[in-house]
Amino acid sequence: MKSKRISHKISRGSAELAILALLAEKPLYGFEIARQIEEKTAGVLCFTLASLYPMLYDLEKRGSITGRWEPNQAGRDRRVYSLTPAGKKELAPLRKEWKLFFHALDHLAGVSNA
Amino acid sequence: MHDGSRNNRDWLALVREHLQPLNLPAKEAQEVIAELAAHLEDLYDEHLEQGTTEAEAFEKVMQEVSLLADLAEKIHRVKMQGGIMNSRTKQFWLPGLVSLASAMALLTPLITISMQPRFLGRSPLQMVLLPWLALLPFCGAAGAWLARRAGGNLQARLVAGLFPTIALLILGSILVVTRLLTFAHPEWWYGLVALAIGIIFPSASLLIGTLPFLKAAEPR
Repeated sequence: MKSKRISHKISRGSAELAILALLAEKPLYGFEIARQIEEKTAGVLCFTLASLYPMLYDLEKRGSITGRWEPNQAGRDRRVYSLTPAGKKELAPLRKEWKLFFHALDHLAGVSNA
Repeated sequence: MHDGSRNNRDWLALVREHLQPLNLPAKEAQEVIAELAAHLEDLYDEHLEQGTTEAEAFEKVMQEVSLLADLAEKIHRVKMQGGIMNSRTKQFWLPGLVSLASAMALLTPLITISMQPRFLGRSPLQMVLLPWLALLPFCGAAGAWLARRAGGNLQARLVAGLFPTIALLILGSILVVTRLLTFAHPEWWYGLVALAIGIIFPSASLLIGTLPFLKAAEPR
């Protein structure tokens, strides 16, 4: 699985989009975010404890997401994150930016044919 | 090293043990620790659900725990970025200055009142020192409370609470030394007695207010 993982820099750059896009669907707590990203990208994007939480706190600090403690299905308190109105506004141009980036990269290097 | 066979999984303690001090306000630090502990707990449960033995599951969780070593610095950097004040200012200097300013703010009107003609016959002890000593616990409490609220450790809370007398001690010491160097017959013991009275009693009074806040805030 490790060989499938893309380099750290690209992974980090795309992680923000991945988190915001996931939270646009529904509020999730840290562990769920990590698992869903791993599942939905078939292990290409993979978060560890050390990479996920600084990113969540950074997004929270910037006002894109907000966290509050809530009991999960097992009745355990978990800090559930949801997208703020500012985060929702941020997501659309971010998606467009990444789309442009991939399009440009594809045009340049033919990555879709690789 | 942790024994994978241990059955008392205290995830909070595990995170506290491996995470460097967060240097964040106490409440925020506790939330981070609780959140990381919850993550480890979920990870452990996930491994168990996949059929892993407890010992193996714990071993896998410990691989994530090993990443905690440099996480504190990352979290601190993210959480404190863009803040107007650094944590030392919030945990120590600001509470200390609040304590000092409030102590001086209380002393000034007491001195002013004691100098009014109708009170001139009364002793400074009765008019100034005793009422000031009675009010000082509130100043110490304010300083220590602010330091604790900002996540200050025991030392920061104590020093913030006692800050007025620490400032007086420094100032008084300078005056005593100056007196010793300046006067041919300084009669230094007067200065030392005044310093002791000006420091010991107010310190005790400030400490009364500081003591309740020396205990760390209750974890969530």
